[in-house]
Amino acid sequence: MGMLSKAKGTRRAYWFILPAALCMLFVHFIPIIWGAYISLLDLDVYTLTQWTSAPFVKLGNYIKLFSGKFAVGQRFLRSVYNVFVYGLVTIPTGYIIGLLVALLLNRNFVGRTFVRGIILLPYITPDSVAYNVWRFIFQARIGLVNKYLLKFGLIQEPLVWLVGKRALTAVIIASIWKGWPFACLILLAGLQGIPAELYEAAKIDGASVWQQFKMITLPMLAPVTKTLLLLNVIWNFHAYNQFYILLGGSVGEAHVPSTFIMQEAFTNLHYGMGSAMSVVLMILIVILIAILLRSKRRASYES
Amino acid sequence: MSKRVRTVFLGIVLSLVLLTSLAVSGQSKSITFWLMPNAPDDTHIPWLEQKAAAFQAKTGVKVNVEIIGWDVAWQRITTAIATGEGADVFQVGTTWNPQLAATGGLEEIKINEFGGKNAFMNANYVSTTYKNKSYGVPWFAETRALFYNVDMFKKAGVQPPKTHDELYKVAEKIVATYGEGSAIALAGTNAHDILHNWTIILWANGGDLLTKDNKMAMFNNDAGVKAMQWYVDLVRRGYASKACAEYDQNQADAAFINGNVAMCYMGPWNIAGIEQQNPGLNYGVVEPPAGPKGKASFSGGSNLVVLKASRNKAAAKEWIKFLLEKDNMVEYTKNLTHMLPAQVEVFADPYYDSGVWKTFKTTLEYSTAYPPLATWGDIENIVKQEFVNVLSEYVDGTYNDNTVKKHLDAAADRVNDVLKRER
Repeated sequence: MGMLSKAKGTRRAYWFILPAALCMLFVHFIPIIWGAYISLLDLDVYTLTQWTSAPFVKLGNYIKLFSGKFAVGQRFLRSVYNVFVYGLVTIPTGYIIGLLVALLLNRNFVGRTFVRGIILLPYITPDSVAYNVWRFIFQARIGLVNKYLLKFGLIQEPLVWLVGKRALTAVIIASIWKGWPFACLILLAGLQGIPAELYEAAKIDGASVWQQFKMITLPMLAPVTKTLLLLNVIWNFHAYNQFYILLGGSVGEAHVPSTFIMQEAFTNLHYGMGSAMSVVLMILIVILIAILLRSKRRASYES
Repeated sequence: MSKRVRTVFLGIVLSLVLLTSLAVSGQSKSITFWLMPNAPDDTHIPWLEQKAAAFQAKTGVKVNVEIIGWDVAWQRITTAIATGEGADVFQVGTTWNPQLAATGGLEEIKINEFGGKNAFMNANYVSTTYKNKSYGVPWFAETRALFYNVDMFKKAGVQPPKTHDELYKVAEKIVATYGEGSAIALAGTNAHDILHNWTIILWANGGDLLTKDNKMAMFNNDAGVKAMQWYVDLVRRGYASKACAEYDQNQADAAFINGNVAMCYMGPWNIAGIEQQNPGLNYGVVEPPAGPKGKASFSGGSNLVVLKASRNKAAAKEWIKFLLEKDNMVEYTKNLTHMLPAQVEVFADPYYDSGVWKTFKTTLEYSTAYPPLATWGDIENIVKQEFVNVLSEYVDGTYNDNTVKKHLDAAADRVNDVLKRER
């Protein structure tokens, strides 16, 4: 009897997930498989309207990407390198700022709720608005950054921020500003989940503030940190808005995979090549996520 | 329970089917027309609505007009071509027409239905062709000339320059009077049309983008290198602001229109911008200064094309004919967009022999269009990318006498690869 009703319940559950599963199938899985197939085609401007007649080039697009002989491959690898640099700076910096502010906000003071709301402002501002403002801030002639750098005598003449070597730096600064409140929000929630007794016990044992932070706060935040890291890594590789809005047409050498794929596939109409790059990017993300999840699981076993 | 779920599910499916069929049946008497913001919205939209109503009264076909920005237009149009959905008839930039024709997504046009090829300015007609067939109808033309600020010129005691060398001399004096960066505003790395600005200089130096047979890149020869160095030197010598390196075309235009800068290469459409933003600006327009090998300018503009997958191609063509009627054309170019008409007949209007229009008309006569190639987008983007790299090197302080040659050579290699794909 029990077994039977359980089977019935399971079947019912399948009915409930069917609409979602169908949506996933049509919106995610079929396009992904389709995209992977297109990556084996030389689909370009000539075959755009009859893509079935595009020549099947097997791994030709992938070979072009990795042989190092073709400009498209060099630029793609450069874009992957850029997104790593971008992530390696923005994620830890955002985390540290978020943690420091979360520690401050975890205390009792007048207007705490208000301040907590205020710090979320960068996070809730739409990307298009926030990065357009940053674009103005970084502008060479009228930008605030140059204005203050000049005022304090740190530079002698206005710098061009959004072209050349400084472009990536500019995007990183804007992204940190945009990203840290989310880290702060999550870490604050994590902090509030730490039982106060732990700190009391530690105080009685004579632990210093630093020791408390090191021995209690950080380890207790580990699960939240891992989740945060996971999300950030995924988002990092999707980075598009900040580069597109801040740098516009002048991305130059500061390409990231998303902007580059966009340009190759949708501007230059090399859909085959664009798909190949998307597939490579997806595999890269899957590998990174697998590593992270594994380390997360191991960590949870250990604790 | 599962029966109920099934009923609900069935209900949803049925209503979706019903909605779709309704949508399909509603389409038969209407066409969708996409165009770019060719004139300021507050005059453009009412005019289009009025014309669409007149067209509906005449033919019974409703025209859904949608204005799409230049920055998203390429994406929207290529998506429409790939999917066969979106618009029945739309505007394309002259440089886009051959590439889009190569996709096979555009309806072939019998140009005789629209008055024959001699009814249009030749460069514009050529831009609608791909492998000797027409895939669009020229709508309006544009060319670029040198705008100058009369008051600033007067105070600096200079006359409009007639050659590249003169332009440097004039710039020198203006900078002496008004300070660094005040002589000229330039489109920089953010300008999608930076190439259109540079080719004016390139052709005047006797260079060209590709060889005559369109098989090889030749913009990296001496003339090309000299032309790009001349352009970058405008910034390096302080005639143009260093910030120009990051400008898009609008920012360059604005610097001139606001009266901060004495010169700018701009097009006829900017006249509408001046009238709206700074009507008091005392400006003049002269032909682009000649280079060592004579005068040159860029020929562009827009064409009207029909989507091959459209269910209403006949109505779409009628709409094009309607827009091209002389009265509509004169209104659209003279009063709204300040573009140049692409039709010889409309151009004969005495209006175009007066004032600044005479300058544009003369310039258009010798201006050059890009070669009608399927891979043109690739080629333009490659040269643009290397141009961006040149300007980046300038910004980073690594620019030297070899920089331009290095990047143009790199671009030429890549362009030659692309040209091998051309069928």
